[in-house]
Amino acid sequence: MLLSNTETIPGKTIVEFYGVVSGNTVRAKHVGRDIMAGLKNIVGGELKGYTELLGESRQEATNRMVEQAQSMGANAVVNVRFATSSVAQGAAELFAYGTAVRVE
Amino acid sequence: MDQDTATWIDGCIGCSGILWPFFLLLVTYFIGNYIERRHLQDILAREAKHRSFPVVTFETVPEGWNVTDVGLVQGSVVISVDYFKRFLAALRGIIGGRIKSYEPLLDRARREATLRMIEDARARGYNGVLNARLETSRLATGRANNKGIAGVELLAFGTGVKLG
Amino acid sequence: MDFVPKAPREGINVSKTHPLKEAATLILGICGVLVLLFVVLAVSIDVAVRFIPPDMESKVFSSVDLDDVFEAVADERTEKVQDLVDRLARHWEDAPYTFRAVVIGSDDPNAAALPGGTILVTAALLDDVETENELAFVLGHELGHFKNRDHLRRLGRETVYALAFAAVSGVGGGSIPDLATISKELTSRGFDRGQERAADHFGLEIVYKEYGHVGSAWDFFERLATQALVAKVLVAYLSTHPASDRRIDDLKDFALKQGWALEGPAEEL
Repeated sequence: MLLSNTETIPGKTIVEFYGVVSGNTVRAKHVGRDIMAGLKNIVGGELKGYTELLGESRQEATNRMVEQAQSMGANAVVNVRFATSSVAQGAAELFAYGTAVRVE
Repeated sequence: MDQDTATWIDGCIGCSGILWPFFLLLVTYFIGNYIERRHLQDILAREAKHRSFPVVTFETVPEGWNVTDVGLVQGSVVISVDYFKRFLAALRGIIGGRIKSYEPLLDRARREATLRMIEDARARGYNGVLNARLETSRLATGRANNKGIAGVELLAFGTGVKLG
Repeated sequence: MDFVPKAPREGINVSKTHPLKEAATLILGICGVLVLLFVVLAVSIDVAVRFIPPDMESKVFSSVDLDDVFEAVADERTEKVQDLVDRLARHWEDAPYTFRAVVIGSDDPNAAALPGGTILVTAALLDDVETENELAFVLGHELGHFKNRDHLRRLGRETVYALAFAAVSGVGGGSIPDLATISKELTSRGFDRGQERAADHFGLEIVYKEYGHVGSAWDFFERLATQALVAKVLVAYLSTHPASDRRIDDLKDFALKQGWALEGPAEEL
């Protein structure tokens, strides 16, 4: 499955397009990370715990989007976009969406 | 009344004192589940109806499309979160991990917003939507103790095109 | 490029776990952790209480003049109760308290052990008991509370629970207080019932030492057991004492295990 956030895949042509596919996950952090983040807020620096957490969630959301595309018989997803939003206190929704197409 | 009944009544009164929050949870779960399933049926029906309407996230006009008119189209929806889902989310907030209770909610919200965008485009005479985008935002309760959220707003918007 | 309308498979963006199952797992998990926390706190309090010497306790609490708080009935019944208390206390070697009996005019048959060595008895209780043995058991039960420092333990436990509650409440956005209350109730009831049983056993032992048998000791509770059903159910729910019939069974088992005679002459009041 080819993924790209460009309109077309360079070097290939889009033969058919099917529609919008998306994947999302909602992840919460646990109290341990909360406390560490609180401490980091004082000194500054990267919140490694959160970076990891959101990275994993984004990967999961992307996998779900790919799964949707595969079920449609597509072999590429173009114009992939990511969105992050807070849907509950202490939790974030990771959203990935794009257009499922068949390229040759 | 014999001893067994007495002990049984004793137990019931004791248990109900402790267990009433769980009854509340169960009730909200069943009601929420019913509303959710009904909404999902509605969504599936409408999606089947609008299946032939093209929606894409890229800007490039597909070859063979002769665009005569464009316009901004959008659809939005605010879906509320029932007590049961909020409770589960709060517990997850302690332990961490995927908030599985919110997933069907966001799925429905996204599909509803997309459908409304399509319906808006169709009503205005467009034949397709290019450059569709989706935005999610949380609505605050406005109360001092932020026990959760009032709802989730999903916005879907794009460029509607008329094909000549 | 051609548009080919297709739909993705259903259910990719939702989890297959049933929400009720997930709720049950989470609730049991968190309650389990909280119950463990409360049990650990209660046990530490039990250990800590042993280090508070009884004379310190007496000094602190005796300064409170109880006659101002309760309407004490100072008549010959008070002297008789004081006499009985002194007789029973003799069987507890090296009792670190000087016991004081106080009778108060109340319609509710009850007895209480107050910190510092005061045993409170209501006039209604004195009206209800029919033999000296029954009163001796009730007083012995209160002496048991003193021996085990139950009032101090309960006080310490409540304080520590309140602190833990306050610490835990901030976490997780609001649903925790419900779970914490439930966990606290479960552990409290268990500990309270355990304390009452221990006090019962000590009371029965004192009665045995005084009279040589345990006959008629729990007649009072047997009469209580035949009261109107509604009253009994409410009392059982609202009090931390075990229900009368369960209490009687437990007392019988304990006496039999110790090999004490269940029958014997009852003393007049």
